Amino acid sequence: MFLRMITSSLLRRQSRMLIALLSIGIGATILAGLVTIYVDVPRQMGAQFRSYGANMLLLPKEGAVLNPESLNEALNLIPSDALVGAAPYRYVRLDMTTRQQSFTAAGTDFSQITKTSPYFSVEGAYPSETRQVLVGKEIAETIGVKVGSTMELTWQPTAAAGETGPEESRTPGATLSGSAEGFGGGVVYVTARLDQEAKIESLSVDTSTQTPEFGGRIPEEENFLRQFIGKSLPLTLGMDVDAVTGATVTSAAVVEALNRATAAAESLQPKTVIFTVAGILTTGGEEEGYVFLSLEDLEAMTGSDQLDIAELSVSTGAEQLESLVSGITENSPAVRARLVKRVARSEASVLEKLTALVFLVTLVVLLLTMICVSTTMMAVVSERRREIGLRKALGASDGSIRAEFLGEGLFLGLLGGVMGAVLGFVFAQVVSVNVFGSSITFQPLLLPAAILVSMAIAAASCLLPIKRAVAIDPAIVLKGE
Amino acid sequence: MLFRMIRGVLFHQKGKMLLIALTIALGASLATGMLNVVLGVEEKVNKELKNYGANIVVKPKDSSLLSEIYEVGEGAELNAAYLREDELGRLKTIFWAFNIVDFTPFLDTRVTLPDGSQAKMTGAWFNHHLDLPTGESLDAGVVGMRSWWDVTEGRWLDEKDGNAEGEIMVGALLAQKMGWHAGDTVRIAASQGEKDVVIAGIYDAGGDEDEQIFATLDLVQALTDRENKVASIEVSALTTPDNELARRAARNPAALSSRDYETWYCTAYVSAICYQIQEVMTGAVASAVRKVAEGEGAILDKTKLLMILITALSLIGSALGISNLVTASVMERSKEIGLLKAIGARDHSITGVVMTEILMTALVGFGAGYLLGFGFAQLIGRSVFGSAIEMDPRVAPIVAGLIALVTIAGSLPAIRMVLRLRPAEVLHGGQ
Repeated sequence: MFLRMITSSLLRRQSRMLIALLSIGIGATILAGLVTIYVDVPRQMGAQFRSYGANMLLLPKEGAVLNPESLNEALNLIPSDALVGAAPYRYVRLDMTTRQQSFTAAGTDFSQITKTSPYFSVEGAYPSETRQVLVGKEIAETIGVKVGSTMELTWQPTAAAGETGPEESRTPGATLSGSAEGFGGGVVYVTARLDQEAKIESLSVDTSTQTPEFGGRIPEEENFLRQFIGKSLPLTLGMDVDAVTGATVTSAAVVEALNRATAAAESLQPKTVIFTVAGILTTGGEEEGYVFLSLEDLEAMTGSDQLDIAELSVSTGAEQLESLVSGITENSPAVRARLVKRVARSEASVLEKLTALVFLVTLVVLLLTMICVSTTMMAVVSERRREIGLRKALGASDGSIRAEFLGEGLFLGLLGGVMGAVLGFVFAQVVSVNVFGSSITFQPLLLPAAILVSMAIAAASCLLPIKRAVAIDPAIVLKGE
Repeated sequence: MLFRMIRGVLFHQKGKMLLIALTIALGASLATGMLNVVLGVEEKVNKELKNYGANIVVKPKDSSLLSEIYEVGEGAELNAAYLREDELGRLKTIFWAFNIVDFTPFLDTRVTLPDGSQAKMTGAWFNHHLDLPTGESLDAGVVGMRSWWDVTEGRWLDEKDGNAEGEIMVGALLAQKMGWHAGDTVRIAASQGEKDVVIAGIYDAGGDEDEQIFATLDLVQALTDRENKVASIEVSALTTPDNELARRAARNPAALSSRDYETWYCTAYVSAICYQIQEVMTGAVASAVRKVAEGEGAILDKTKLLMILITALSLIGSALGISNLVTASVMERSKEIGLLKAIGARDHSITGVVMTEILMTALVGFGAGYLLGFGFAQLIGRSVFGSAIEMDPRVAPIVAGLIALVTIAGSLPAIRMVLRLRPAEVLHGGQ
């Protein structure tokens, strides 16, 4: 019965209802729309700040080595939706002998650079095939290369102490030593002397870590060891030499150790490669003085996949960024993380201001809109004073009148709230797509919240005029004051 | 007569009119506040973005490949080109001088430290006071251009206290390696001299600069016999984000039509400012630091668009709210209008009177709302950016026009509709 009264009353006064409903609807739309935007703005705006480039660096710890494996280990500690890009870098000096110039070359992953350094401007294209380079503008202008030119670049190794240097490897009279894992994980050590023709002259094998009856016997197995004499490296087990019966694994380890020694020595040879210039880089910064090539090309030249540093672009809040940095540094055996203060700190301060701006704007707009809705509701209700007076005169109690009007208010609030929540979300989505180019995150709690708030405001704004109307003597109201 | 009628309505129906005025005031304050914020926020956010440092770098045209790349001995300086220190003041005379908020020259050299090792020492301005021919004065230098540095020990070099030439600032990593602290005196040797200097402060830059030494420009010039010479200048300027015209101009200003050229030159694009810097400094090439310039362009564009869309929503909301209420109030007066018609008033006179009453109420509402809205804009400006948002003179006529339009659009159809009803019905109490 109550419900019937409310709905019939509303239906009879269609125009009034529409006006009140429209007002509540506007209020709810603004509420839902602006609050959704406000909640999502830090994430959306934060992603924009990534256009400034890398905000975190990964470096090797003291005494440790940064390579693709240890890098990936560290990257796994970062949530995948926060990691925008991770560009590994290795810096070596390359010579251009034809021009007697030396440059710093940076080996990197070009697919990641577009994410960590989106401000790079490339004339031509990023290298997409092997033997291609990206040349910084300053270098290009100094040596006069253009897109499509070729550059002959040479890597001169610098042998570390204790390693077989380039002059020694495979040269007559050289001594090579290497090691490999044998049976049960024990390490096998081999040392070989090369003769004038770079063939094996003699070798000595240490298999003390292997099973005594089988692999451990190898140093005494004259037949096995004699196979190596006079052969040149590298060797293949089964073709160049045969394994000792019952000690296949250890025999393979001996061959592997020898081959590794050769490879290590070989990697210390200078390498010259002819590259094609795929693109020229403009940044207005120091990158214009580097030559960029792919990590694969650099590894082929230098024989090592070691990295110097990795630049990361991480999109997340300032506190989470700090905790990621300490988390990686503590939990990763080889890697320590550091923030790029210039980028991270500026981002934190500007983003804070922008979020505060959107918050205050939302607050002000909401406040004004809610007051507007209230005044409209009050106006609509107060003009029904005569009806209230009439009802009272017919014997209705104050309480039932209040209840009925309250009910109408709540019903309108509900309807308007639903309308507004939907429209508000649509508005927020339009803003998100047009401004940030991505979808807004739907806040499921917002729908019931918007409806409840609309109902609350509608009800609250009914109360005052009803209270006043109910208080007046019906006779006066009916008279027409 | 008209005036008496209007006055009668306004005073006898105070309550209703007040409600209308209040709603209009709220709508007007919303519109005024948001429009002021939208127009003023771009400059404020731009100023905040200056935290990132220089967006323009100026170098001599014929500078050799930078010694940053590989350790070239300072002997190569014989052929190196420089900019002139005495021309630095000209930066504040270009067309967009007002937009240049900070800058500093740099001159670096290798120095030998007491233990024989070497480090890079950069001479710069710290808080160099400039009195400009225009009458304004500016403190330019590293203090502003390196806002992310933390001075962990000691203090910044202060060019105003007179001792600055005998002081240096040392990066945290270098200080740790050498065991230095603020207040220590150390001997540094450069190509043309050595000096005992006091470490004024130790800074943590969070980058390569942590392994370097910073000193005044004068000190480095003296120690390397390069008076009046400067190797590069970093400039921090407020710029307008790039668009198609700006990109075309950046590639080749000479290829623009004269109208396009003027538009480009007179807009604070980073390429225009670079061009103007090159006009006043001999032998200089100014280029945008893409990392900073692109980044701030993206942020500014997005912030402005976001604010505009929010403002549009609020304007629509307040327009609908006002017209809604005005329509409701007219419908409410249907009896009165019906009565007037019944006693013989013409349609157009009734319309005129009612419209005038409503517009006068709207005027009062607009006045109050405008002041309130301005207050909101200031609240937002002060709380978020710490500075006032300037009142834009364009806002008042826009909001006034909007209010008038909405009020008329809300009341006219309603009045017409009521007038079409037959007086007898209306008076009888049907509607």
